[in-house]
Amino acid sequence: MAKIEVVNVTKRFGKFTALKNINLEIKDNEFFVLFGPAGAGKTTLLNNVAGIQIPEEGLIRFNGEIMNRIDPAHRNVAMVFENYALYPNLTVYENIASPLRSPLYKKDNATINREVHRVAELLRIDHLLERLPSQISNGQKQRVAIGRALVRDPNVFLMDEPLAHLDAKLRHYMRSELKEMQSSFNTTCIYVTHDFLEAVSLGDRIAIINEGSIIQVGTREEVYYTPCNEFVAALVGEPEINLVDGRLFVDNGKYYVETLEKGYLLPLPESSGIVRKLVDSEVTEYHIGFRPNNIKYTFEKKDGLIRGTVYSFESIGNKAVLIAKVGEKYIRMIAPNDLKVKLDQAVYVELPIHKAIFFDAQTTNFIGTSDEAAIYRLVQEQLSKGVQ
Amino acid sequence: MSKLIIKNLYKRYENKGKKKTQPNDFAVNNLSLECEDGEFIGILGPSGCGKTTTLRMIAGLEDITAGDIFIGDQRINDLHPKDRNIGLAFEDYALYPPLTVYDNIAFNLKAKGVPADQIKERVMEIAPLLKVEDLLDKMPISLSGGQKQRVNIARAIVRRPGLLLLDEPLSHLDGKMRQALRTEIKRLHNEIRCTTVYVTHDQLEAMSLADRIAIMNLGVLQQFGTPMEVYDDPANEFVAGFIGEPPMNLLKTTIIHHDGDYYFTFENSDLRILAPRRYYDLLSDGMQVKMGVRPTDIFVGGPDSKGTPVKVAVFEDLCSERRIGVRVGDELVMLITEDDTRYRQGEMIKLEVNGEKTHLFDLQTGNRIRPNK
Repeated sequence: MAKIEVVNVTKRFGKFTALKNINLEIKDNEFFVLFGPAGAGKTTLLNNVAGIQIPEEGLIRFNGEIMNRIDPAHRNVAMVFENYALYPNLTVYENIASPLRSPLYKKDNATINREVHRVAELLRIDHLLERLPSQISNGQKQRVAIGRALVRDPNVFLMDEPLAHLDAKLRHYMRSELKEMQSSFNTTCIYVTHDFLEAVSLGDRIAIINEGSIIQVGTREEVYYTPCNEFVAALVGEPEINLVDGRLFVDNGKYYVETLEKGYLLPLPESSGIVRKLVDSEVTEYHIGFRPNNIKYTFEKKDGLIRGTVYSFESIGNKAVLIAKVGEKYIRMIAPNDLKVKLDQAVYVELPIHKAIFFDAQTTNFIGTSDEAAIYRLVQEQLSKGVQ
Repeated sequence: MSKLIIKNLYKRYENKGKKKTQPNDFAVNNLSLECEDGEFIGILGPSGCGKTTTLRMIAGLEDITAGDIFIGDQRINDLHPKDRNIGLAFEDYALYPPLTVYDNIAFNLKAKGVPADQIKERVMEIAPLLKVEDLLDKMPISLSGGQKQRVNIARAIVRRPGLLLLDEPLSHLDGKMRQALRTEIKRLHNEIRCTTVYVTHDQLEAMSLADRIAIMNLGVLQQFGTPMEVYDDPANEFVAGFIGEPPMNLLKTTIIHHDGDYYFTFENSDLRILAPRRYYDLLSDGMQVKMGVRPTDIFVGGPDSKGTPVKVAVFEDLCSERRIGVRVGDELVMLITEDDTRYRQGEMIKLEVNGEKTHLFDLQTGNRIRPNK
């Protein structure tokens, strides 16, 4: 158990700067996710915490103690590898016990027995202790690998895309399993992934990384409802958020945004404070983000809705994605998977202006959201943190 | 454009020098399929199920052990691949690196000796369909993966093949590009209506693209039907577990008879589900079967619910949807919630299962147990 601090860390490989002045504070017992596209620097950051790589600049601190010159073995970090790397010739019991038998820890048999059983019960594998890895399921193997890491009470538990090599079905299942086990970890965790669902499901907080820099750090709700820029908005959410051009329009003291077509005006909700935010920002050209699950549509002509044509209809399991072509713009929305629809037929789209996220069209930075429920939720979250 | 008919197709690879480990070593085992003219067929299955082997036999890249393949009225078993009038695109783009995008697309037409002005006409006709019209002067090395695959598919269809074969064309691409190209392939098919066979291991791709899906496992066809048919009416346990995300929950159940009704019960669990009346003729007290129910057919009951009280084992907030996992015996059963409520791990909820939407499967064979009509 430890608080992990990354202070002004820069890591270079020759001329390439993999990490650019990274600052992070990971709380004791927190499940912290590093999330970003391939090549963002997630794994490099993890390796610097583990001590496998040493930063050129900056500090890594565990509970305030500087770790830069401590070798990996003595940092007491535990890693779970993608392929679990269990010893195939050892029983589940011996696999979990193996770190305690290493020269570094060398515990007596009674202690080992107690610790192995403690961890095995936590992870619900105590009935499998006499089995060999070949005799247990994939989910159970993951549990054994995690048990082996937890048995020695590590300062921090590092996981680098532990589910990435699995096929889609198993990956989802194992993610749920991991989430179930999470509360029994009882240590600080840093988890690297490029999968949005893993990031939001597992992370107490999520750091979004791109090209060696931290873009945003926040809870699931913060990065989803108030993404700090368009990059984060597009990365968090599936199908991807719709971003449409819009500009501020004032008529008779009423505020609107004009979007998609000339003269198509959406009245800004007065109560959400978004009008104030937009006016204060002094920006008048926006990219407006609409999440696909908030957009409504109908196939009958209706006033106030914008006309488009069905560009595509794709089932994605329990639901479907309907893409409408409105002018030159493609609008993604969620539809039931048994909808009867013909390509190129007319569809009328309702953009939910009360659930919109506004970005500065020039800088792509976040200006504000009109989603009152989201704002309320975020305030609640802040308050509950304050109480703790 | 042509109809594709596959009749009793077998493929057996010679096991040179290796000891035979499987009693049944047919890579493709008695496969029969009929694809209508202009239809989009998905062949779906896990790795090793024989889907690519089937595709390669259609293309003529693999010998046929037994059975027949017809394109239109013509039996093509002994036809040279180049005479089968087939367009092919694989997972690897395999573009010619020294040629421009235009020349890559035009290559096969040139090789066939089509006059230059006709080639130009056809390339210009195809390029906008795949949104590569602005890339025609570029070299392959400067293209992204998605663009390369677009060029690759353009090259396959520029010859106006009677049959288009696509083998995992999206597998190399990252999430966003994959989604975008999936949409384009669907649009393209709508435009040219070329009979298409699409091989994939990804059920989302098959569900979203295909008119009908052939699901294979271990060389054997499991079910052939529209996406909604295989989703709502799976032929067996394999199909039920393969289609849908999250997949159907499949649980071993013991039937009990109580007060004239039948219930599904589960080992080490209080959960009890009233069996649908249509199954009553088939059920008996103590009978054991596999029960399947989709995550969307399980609900959290309100305060007055008569549902079974269970503990939340997992709560996943995935932003646009939420999933709850509960333990039924040793199995993790998932359900999807529509509403905004957040649950805590360990919290008690009342579980309601829509018994009418349950499916039953034979414990031994995995075959669907269907009620008598």
